[in-house]
Amino acid sequence: MSILLSVENLSIAFGGLKAVDDLTFEMNHGEIYGIIGPNGAGKTTAFNCITQFYKPNAGKILFDSKKNGVMDLVGLKPHQVIGHGLVRTFQNVELISSLSVIDNLLVGAHIAFKSTLPEQIFRLPRARREEKQLRERAMEVLEMLDLTHIAHMPATMQPYGYQKKLELGRTLMMSPKLIILDEPAAGLNEVETEGLINIVQSVAKDLNCGILLIEHDMNFVSKLCNRICAISFGKRLAIGTPDEIKAHPDVREAYLGKSDEGGDVDG
Amino acid sequence: MNKVFGTIKKTQPYLGFLILGGILSLAPALVANTQWFLFAWLTIFAGFVVYSIASLGMNILMGYGGLASLGTAGFMGLGAYLTMVLTVDLGLSFFPVLILTILATTVLGILVGLISLRVEGFFLAIATLVIAEMLRQVFQQMPLLGGHAGRTMPAFPTISIFGIAEWTLNRNQTYIMLVIFLVIAMFVTQLLFKSATGRALSAMRGSESAAAAMGISIFRGRLLAFALASGFAGAAGSLFMFFMPFTNPNHWNLVLSLFIFAVVVIGGVRSVAGTVLGAFIVFAVPQLFIARLPIIGDISGMDFVFTGVLIIVVVLFYPAGLVYMPISIKNGITKLINKRKKGGETA
Repeated sequence: MSILLSVENLSIAFGGLKAVDDLTFEMNHGEIYGIIGPNGAGKTTAFNCITQFYKPNAGKILFDSKKNGVMDLVGLKPHQVIGHGLVRTFQNVELISSLSVIDNLLVGAHIAFKSTLPEQIFRLPRARREEKQLRERAMEVLEMLDLTHIAHMPATMQPYGYQKKLELGRTLMMSPKLIILDEPAAGLNEVETEGLINIVQSVAKDLNCGILLIEHDMNFVSKLCNRICAISFGKRLAIGTPDEIKAHPDVREAYLGKSDEGGDVDG
Repeated sequence: MNKVFGTIKKTQPYLGFLILGGILSLAPALVANTQWFLFAWLTIFAGFVVYSIASLGMNILMGYGGLASLGTAGFMGLGAYLTMVLTVDLGLSFFPVLILTILATTVLGILVGLISLRVEGFFLAIATLVIAEMLRQVFQQMPLLGGHAGRTMPAFPTISIFGIAEWTLNRNQTYIMLVIFLVIAMFVTQLLFKSATGRALSAMRGSESAAAAMGISIFRGRLLAFALASGFAGAAGSLFMFFMPFTNPNHWNLVLSLFIFAVVVIGGVRSVAGTVLGAFIVFAVPQLFIARLPIIGDISGMDFVFTGVLIIVVVLFYPAGLVYMPISIKNGITKLINKRKKGGETA
């Protein structure tokens, strides 16, 4: 097992508020890794720092890039990150409303299009070839997600569960090494959540792709993740297996309050 | 499933574009052979064709890029004045003039695109408006350009092929050439919309963060949208000049920019056919039909009232544009029939 992502002493502050404070963790290739924490703990902010949507004030984000081997992602532009094999989803599903399901997947393959604008407009051989190959790839992804029947329908008119799957599917278009999922199970019912667990597991296993996810649903995280990092107020509380985390006193305190304040789980 | 959500059909509208081009090309023959198609109408049609081209550029910028601009008239004006100077003062022939004009307006468009990286929405609209006004002031003040009175150039283009063969088009031929350029512009716009770049522009408008996460550079996308829109506007201005062939600064004012904005809203955002339909309604219908109605036609300014009322009606009932009207009428009828059927069964 070699290290895929290593976050070292990551910190970012907005004004006086330290949203992420000296956060350190690392995950391996093909590992499913969870980040949990109460609301406002800084989970999404940490994700935004890793994917360079925010510029961290301090710290390193070492990533085993597709192109350059191990490198620090800090300083890249947000749109450059995907090229190194790191792609993300969003807490509020961000599909493109005017495009069909399959076209939304093709947006996920944007950087695979090497043809120039004139080549695309005049449908020259290279542009046609790319379009054909990537359309086939998109159909494969839809098949894997069991969504081929909606390929040509408007994406944002689909049920929420489909949209969530679709957003995950869009990340698969570029065969990434690490997928970051921001609350993938939020708003899904039990059946859909079970289906999602299966998909995420098979992506990690079959594609040897690391999955880093934020989730509130402890049951979901426990079933899926190899390891979990619990954070509160931007600081790391504990790292361990799901069972270790559940039993950890600091984590229990952050989630449930101190037992002598009457917030005990058994009380 | 299909019935509930509908499918996005794979449309191949290219044949339709050619047919439209064919129909528009009939106008000169109608002038020659019929009483009702007036000689002056050809000028109105030429105007409509030229403004359609500029509106297509506007639709790329607004419909796809999601960026606002009130500077279209300025870019068209720049195209027209450049065309005049290059033709009259430098003695260049049609194709070099057109290509140089498009290049120059595209470059200026890219510079304006740089502004769009810093400001958005209303502020961007105002920034583009100011640039167009600046250009208009330049047209007014530069002696070379004829000042307030404007300037005329010899009518209709002279086409030269490497100086070997050379011929000058007449009015009808020039008009047909404009139609050909419109069809080319429609093809280019449609093919762009359906390409990877078109999807990238859509993504950029839909969700900037999602677009960035998928590797789409907002910087490139915005510059590209502005480059294309101003290139189209420059081409339109240049072609306008070859037909009309007179320009004065007041023609390229804010009202024209607003009309082109209205074309996209009325006709159909992100629709090529809708853009041309919108341009016909805004630039041809008032003069062709409204002005000829009894009583109403005699009231001056009635065409503006027509356009104004129409915009309000369209925005209220067809916010996506008139081109989507047949679909909603069809849906309305199906609903009505279904209701009747249900009513009949229960009764």
